[in-house]
Order: sequence, then structure tokens, then C-alpha cells
Amino acid sequence: MTLVFDRLRKEYGQVVAIDDVTASFAPGLIHGVIGPNGAGKSTLINMTAGSYTVSSGSIVLDGKRLDRLKKYQIANSGVARTYQNIRLFDQMTTLENLEVCFYPTDVGGTWKEVLWPPYASSRRDRRREKCMEILRFFDLQGHADAEAGSLPYGRQRMLEIARALVCNPRVLLLDEPAAGLNHHETAELTARLAAQRSPDRITIIVEHDMDLVMALCDNIIVMHHGKLLFQGTPAEVQASTDVQLAYLGTANDIDDIRAAAQDRRAQLGIRTRRRS
Amino acid sequence: MSVAETLAAVRPRSSRAVAFLVFAIAIALIAATPFLPNYYIRVIDSLLIYILLGIGLNIVIGYTGLLDLGFVAFYAVGAYSYALLASPQLDLHLPFLLILLVAACLGAITGILLGIPVLRLRGDYLAIVTLGFGEIVRIIINNLDWLTGGPKGIARLDKASILGIQIARPVDFFWLLLVVVLLAGLVAWRLERSILGKAWAAIREDQDAARGIGINTTNAKLAAFATSATIGSIAGAIFGASQRFVSPESFTLQESVLIVLMIVVGGIGNILGIVAGAAILILLPEVLREFAEWRILFLGLLMIFLIIVRPAGIVPRSFGPDKLIRRLIGK
Repeated sequence: MTLVFDRLRKEYGQVVAIDDVTASFAPGLIHGVIGPNGAGKSTLINMTAGSYTVSSGSIVLDGKRLDRLKKYQIANSGVARTYQNIRLFDQMTTLENLEVCFYPTDVGGTWKEVLWPPYASSRRDRRREKCMEILRFFDLQGHADAEAGSLPYGRQRMLEIARALVCNPRVLLLDEPAAGLNHHETAELTARLAAQRSPDRITIIVEHDMDLVMALCDNIIVMHHGKLLFQGTPAEVQASTDVQLAYLGTANDIDDIRAAAQDRRAQLGIRTRRRS
Repeated sequence: MSVAETLAAVRPRSSRAVAFLVFAIAIALIAATPFLPNYYIRVIDSLLIYILLGIGLNIVIGYTGLLDLGFVAFYAVGAYSYALLASPQLDLHLPFLLILLVAACLGAITGILLGIPVLRLRGDYLAIVTLGFGEIVRIIINNLDWLTGGPKGIARLDKASILGIQIARPVDFFWLLLVVVLLAGLVAWRLERSILGKAWAAIREDQDAARGIGINTTNAKLAAFATSATIGSIAGAIFGASQRFVSPESFTLQESVLIVLMIVVGGIGNILGIVAGAAILILLPEVLREFAEWRILFLGLLMIFLIIVRPAGIVPRSFGPDKLIRRLIGK
């Protein structure tokens, strides 16, 4: 049982953003999606999570079609994601940012929570216990009562990943998790992502940081102009002349690819505030 | 010792004193009210009704972050429920408690009816549509002469009574309103702290990310609209019973704006703030009654002053009822 894209397609008018991509993602592995700017990597993530609609083709998780579901239903089917520009609930505390993820399972008892305080506190304690566990895993327990918006950038990235993991998702989608992080933080991120690996989880990372991708991923998909250009292990990707051509226009070695990607990372370094 | 350290040392003690002071004033006011002349009790009754309306509207504006400028429509639904079910208009004379129940249900239904078309709207667009909704309800009431008496309104409403105890004097309504306000405040506060309240906050902060973690935003928003409208409608029914006369004049856009102002001035998303905001915006015009022409000017200046010194409202969101209680018992 896996996550499967079958002839997945996304069109904006005449522009084809994703061009008949067929791929499957096995659980227990970390899958990397790389490619030059505009190759359609983020679009893949956004379609899987339900943020974008699918023009044609299908996304199937464990035999269940996701592409016809609403975004919240996709999330409740076990797909969790992070965003390219961090999207936390800024004015809520770190702990609340995780606690609210238990809404789908706990909302049925809302009125009982309102009318019967002991029930409310026992439920809250149970939720918070799970949240603290994840916070400790990400070394964020010291920030539990701080407003999420006030955390340093690197901690916000970690918290966003923690929020995606708190309900133990089947699929974890990470959209450029290392963007804007320094070397030290990127190393920490790599270690934590390696540690969250579990036999049931399908982890998909879109990333420009080649060191991270090559170190972490078991399987890499290379996108180019919306098409699936290449798929293989890190070693195979590094050896492929097709990939080198796509990135640089000429056959060249991996160091140049890395340099090109690093430029892109630097551009993404400053977090753009979306709040109005 | 630096300034910050001095402040940090002084603050807990002084804020505890403030908490005590607030609490003592509230108790003294409640205890003194029955002995005041009727005019003052009426003012306090109207203050309590506005606090109730504020608690209701705050669920949508403060907790869920949706600017609703048509809240007065639910107030009208409640008031006209009472007027139609307990007056010679339709020759119906149902008991007060039953009408409260009917008003609550009708309020919830109207809340959902307003909620469905505005689900996709946010910010300014939502404000405009809800503003229109409030006006539509008022205009319907104004023109539905055969049912609502049109601009003349409905007069000679029944005196309310609960389990044989008549509620007619201002002081009776004071006790009734006090109980209802405390109950509504308690429910709203506990709702905010429930998992649904957290989901409302998530929608307020980032609706799309809220969907991304599996929140059915449609249901959560409709729940907010429905509970908010229920409280507004109950306030309306009590208002109708206390005035024993309703007319469309009481449900103008200005009323909606006043309730929003109360919330903004007092502190968005905080029940204590609503009490403070209502106290200022309802009591001040009464105090300044002698300077009738200058009242609005003075209110305007006060607003500007408050927005400069306390942009988050008099009582900020972070200082909720739980903090006040904790300060009182000294933890």
C-alpha cells in the first residue's frame, strides 16, 4: 500500500504545470523531490495536500482517492504538510498550535467539555501529553507557552514540522523545510527528519539543499518543466547526465548543481510575512 | 536596579490590587443596585444587555476573527420572537421561558442562515455582507406590517414571569440579566478554552493552514455563527420583555456598530474587556447626558485616546477571566 500519482496533471489555462506525472511512494522511505525553479515540485505537494485542485489523473493513498476530497478531509485521511513560507497560528502558544490538531478527533465532545469541567480537563491533559511528547522530540518544550509568532525563525520551522507530526500522519509532506535555516539548523533538521522515519510513514521532501536531500533521501524524483525527468537513488541521480543538463544546461558535476541550488536558498532566506 | 526590574517587582503586587479592586467594585455594584432609584437600575439593565450582546458577538469577532456588522439582526429576531409570542398582536401569550427557548432556536437558525452565504468571505467583504444582512432584517420588519406592525412596532407585550414569579420591575430584570450574563459568559469562556475554541483561533490566525490540519472550517464557522446568534437572540427576547414594546428603531446599524466598538475598545476576544468596553460606551453617555451636544465629540476623543494608549483594548486578550481569578487567589 502506497501513495500513488497516476498521470497527474495540472493546467493553468494553456500552461501545463504538471505534465502527466506517474510515481509511487513506498512507506518507510524518505522521498526527495528536486528540480530547477518552476519545475512543479511545490505544485505536486499542494495538489497532494488539496491546496490546489487536480486537472486530471489521480492521487491514491492506500487505495483511497484523495484528489476528489476537500482539503480538511485529505488531512484527516492522514496527510500532513508544512509550507514553503511558514504558516503557524502566530497568536496561539506553541502548545496550542499542536493541541488544535486534535480537533478532528475531539470536536464531538465540545459541549461535554463546556458543561462538565472535569471531562474537559482530562481531555485537555491527554491532548497536552501527546503534544509535549512531540515538543520534547523537537526540543521545543521550553517554548511551550510562548506565542508561536514570537519564536525565532529556526524554532518556527521546527514547530511547523512538529505540528505536522503530532497526529502521527501516514504521509508527511515537507515543502522546502531547510529554506532560511543556517548550517547548524539544517544539520539539526536533517537529524530530526531522519529520526522521525517510521515503517508506516511516507515522507516527501521538496528541497533545494542538495546536502540534505542526498544525506536523507532513499529515493529521489527529479522534476523538469512539469515532467518527471528521473527517479532513482541519490547515487544514481548524481551520476545522471539528464539531471545535470536540466539544472545547468550543460553536463557538469554535482558541485555546480549544489551551488545553483544554494543561490536559490539564499533568496528564500527572508521569511515573507503574509499577514495583512 | 533597572527600570524594567523595578517594574517587574512592582507589577505582580499592584496587578493583584487591581484585580481585588475590580472584584470589589463589581460586588459592591451588584449589592447596591437593588437600592438605587429605578432610573439607575434601568441604565444598569441596559448595560447588562449590551454586555450580553458583546459576549455573543465576541464569539464571531474575537474568537473566530470574522468581522460581523449585522449582529443586531439576531437581537431583533429575539425581540420580535417575544413580541409576537406574548402580545395581543397574534393573540399568543406563551410563557416567558418557552419563548426564550424559541428565541434561542430561531437565533441559531438565523445565525446559520447568515453563515452559509458568507462562508467564503473574509475581512472587508464579510463586513459589508453582514452589514447588509442586518439592514435587510430591519427593513423586512419595517415593511411586514401585517405581522410586525411595521414602523409602529408592537406594543402592550405581556409581562414576563418565570415559574409564577413576575418579572416586571427593573430590579427583577437586573437579577434575571445578571444570571443570564454570568451563564453566557461562562459558556463563552469555556467554549473558547474547548477544542472548538482552539479551532476558532486557528481559523482566525490562518484559515488555510487550519484546513490543512483537518479542521472542517465550514462546520466550525457555522458553530460560531450559531452560538453567537443564540446569545444575541436571547438578549433580544429579554430586551423585548423589559421594554414591553418593540419597534424597528431599536435595531439600526448604529446598534451593531456600538457593540463592535464595545468589543474593540474593551479588548477583542476577552470577556473582561467586553465588560469594560460596555461600561465606558453605555455608561458614559448617561453620565454626560447634561452635555448632550458634546457627548459624541467627547466619545470620539476618548476613542482616539484609547486607540493611541491601548491599541489592543483596555483589557488585552491575554488577561482573561482565568488570569483575574488566579491573581485574586494569589497564584
